[in-house]
Amino acid sequence: MDNGNDNRSKENKPGFKWDPLRFIAKNPDETLKKVDGRLDKLEKECFGDKKDKNSNLKNIFDVYGVTRRDFLKWTAFLTSALMLPYVFKPRVARAANILTRTPFIWLDMADCMGNTEAFIRTAHPTPAEIILNYVSVNYMESIMAPAGYQAETRRTETVKKYKGKYILVVEGAIPTGMNGKFLTIGAKGGTGLEIAKETAKNAGVIIAVGNCASYGGIPAAEPNPTSAVGLSSVTNRRVINIPACPANPVNVVGTLVEYILIGKAPQIDGLGRPLWAYSGRLHDNCYRRGHFEAGEYVRHWGDDGAKKQYCLYMMGCKGPFTWNNCTTAEYNQDISFPMRAGHGCIGCSQPAFWDRMTPFEKPNADAKIIIPGIEATVDEFGVGLLGVAGAGIAAHAIYTGVKKNKNKENRKDKEKKESKKTAPKNGSDDSK
Amino acid sequence: MENKENENKYGEIKLVHRMTVIKRIIHWVFFLAIINNIITGFYIAYPFLFFGKTPAQADSLSSGILSSGETYQAFIMTWMRYFHFMGAVLIDVIFIVWLYLAFFSWKEPLYKSFIPFGDKMVEAWKMIKHYFTLKNKPETGRYQDSLNAIIFTIFHLLILLQMLTGLQMYVASFTGTSAVGAWWPWLMHFSTDWTLVVFGGLTGVTLVHLFIMWLIIIFIAYHIYIEVWRSIMWKEGDILIPFGGYKYLRNKSETE
Ligand code: HEM
Ligand code: HEM
Ligand code: SF4
Repeated sequence: MDNGNDNRSKENKPGFKWDPLRFIAKNPDETLKKVDGRLDKLEKECFGDKKDKNSNLKNIFDVYGVTRRDFLKWTAFLTSALMLPYVFKPRVARAANILTRTPFIWLDMADCMGNTEAFIRTAHPTPAEIILNYVSVNYMESIMAPAGYQAETRRTETVKKYKGKYILVVEGAIPTGMNGKFLTIGAKGGTGLEIAKETAKNAGVIIAVGNCASYGGIPAAEPNPTSAVGLSSVTNRRVINIPACPANPVNVVGTLVEYILIGKAPQIDGLGRPLWAYSGRLHDNCYRRGHFEAGEYVRHWGDDGAKKQYCLYMMGCKGPFTWNNCTTAEYNQDISFPMRAGHGCIGCSQPAFWDRMTPFEKPNADAKIIIPGIEATVDEFGVGLLGVAGAGIAAHAIYTGVKKNKNKENRKDKEKKESKKTAPKNGSDDSK
Repeated sequence: MENKENENKYGEIKLVHRMTVIKRIIHWVFFLAIINNIITGFYIAYPFLFFGKTPAQADSLSSGILSSGETYQAFIMTWMRYFHFMGAVLIDVIFIVWLYLAFFSWKEPLYKSFIPFGDKMVEAWKMIKHYFTLKNKPETGRYQDSLNAIIFTIFHLLILLQMLTGLQMYVASFTGTSAVGAWWPWLMHFSTDWTLVVFGGLTGVTLVHLFIMWLIIIFIAYHIYIEVWRSIMWKEGDILIPFGGYKYLRNKSETE
């Protein structure tokens, strides 16, 4: 975490080249050595002694009845989700252990706190959710004991004490209208904008969780009365976006684990999302894709196609426009995701999904286009234009016929007159 | 004697070369590819043929006929997308050839007539006036008339936009590399990622692609109408250009 502040290094520019070893070193052995060295150092920092280190996770998981075996299975799952080679499995376990002792600030901005809810309210939490509950939370409004001024102090002190080391997770959009006064937090009534900026300045790593924190989400939906924006628009620090509504705990913990393993921000795509989680399009990894290709679509909720799990394209599935790992990492204790549950994707991990992915239950082609004064789908508008053009063509054809006859008559008249004058004249007068 | 009478009535008739063989081939391949892409594109946007023998679907006439039983036997969407992409490849190649010919064709470089400046605009305006007055037909020259040239240029710009939005949708299913190497998705990202910003994400890009299709359909309607209209009104055999490469030139116009 020491070099956390220069995590905007060149290799980490948004790009399309993917390195499973995260550009740590060219040689795999050297990569492992570096990672191990880092983990050793962090373990020394975080744990009092060996016993403390070894019993830490066990104590936590015992509370939830998660066995060591479950935990090992989970580390294997997370290692593969992170697209890391298998040798990283024990290292992922060590990183998860360290993660529970890393100073941590969770800020809530303008949103429904759905991400918090998703993490702390699951009935049968997986290790990911448990670890998120047990990270050494220094500040998280929804679960912390201190209140009022005490809470504020806790935050400012964490920022001071762990300068450049603490993990900052932000949830919710940041209203910027009226100088941020649409959102004030805490006993001193600081605006969300101020607090987010201040806290982000000295963070070791900054993670925006959920679509609101990443891109403004629902608070920023048209007409965006509070001028809400995502976190990356108010700080010049590198922000790792974990969008979705709510974000998948696997992706949040995975990003944190990766940060602990390699000490720098993960490779991200053009929208600031970690490539390991967001490089695949849902439509390309969907188990209903075969039915898409076969032209077998659900046409009404609950019809026979729905029972046979046909493709939800015609019911407005936005999987073709959405990048996330729902289909492989899955939600709700890793058992399901929208298409498995029988409803199309609503595109919640893409920017402005509330405006761009609607109507959620109709194909994209049925979306209303945004031209002032016109409310129609593209097809309606297109047919309209074609109709106008067709009418124009027909009118011109008729006009031509009529006009031609008239011209002929005129010419005959003219010819009669001219023959009287007996002065042959050329009809052209295109001097103008 | 007879010949002379005709000459008096229709004027002197000359041949004008307008389209090289290459251009004629391009024209009809373009025609087929675009018709193909309109049909398959429509299907992709809104699959109107249904497969699968569910009771709900079998009572529709089209699905009843086309139902093929098992999922693995009916890859209708696959075929539609396959043909759409084959058409797209043709369109892309044709566009590049057109771009080349527009500037470097040693017979009839198009840029001589399509650059919409100065007297080109005046000429085009004269043609529009002629469409509505039927008088003062602009003289048939060695190259395309300005109005057509400008409209064909606009049409090719639509095709370019269609290519860029199409490639953006296409690159969506790439994950960073491809069978021919990483340069290919990189090139597509490099040249088309701006469409995401301008049109508001991939859904917007798709809608623009769909909308341009309508503009292209309108172009086709106008184009065929006006070529037929010219053939009837001018009696210079304009419609023959994409077939034989020639049209006629008369120094006398009946409408005058
Ligand atoms: C998808 C349908 C079509 C498209 C996209 C299309 C496009 C074009 C383009 C781009 C040109 C200009 C060629 C150049 O010089 O670079 C052209 C010329 C022409 N096309 Fe088409 N065309 C279509 C269908 C047709 C059809 C069905 C006909 C009539 C049978 C036709 C008749 C002509 C004629 C006569 C010209 C020559 C115009 C002139 O040089 O003044 N086209 N077409
Ligand atoms: C005249 C030319 C073209 C027409 C009329 C046309 C029309 C369409 C239409 C209507 C769609 C459906 C859009 C929707 O889902 O709402 C579509 C999809 C698509 N088009 Fe085109 N298109 C043309 C050329 C191209 C070109 C040049 C490319 C270049 C690669 C292209 C690539 C695509 C792709 C990738 C899709 C999406 C297919 C999918 O989602 O599975 N198209 N096209
Ligand atoms: S259900 Fe959605 S994501 Fe899955 S294949 Fe159909 S359209 Fe694609």
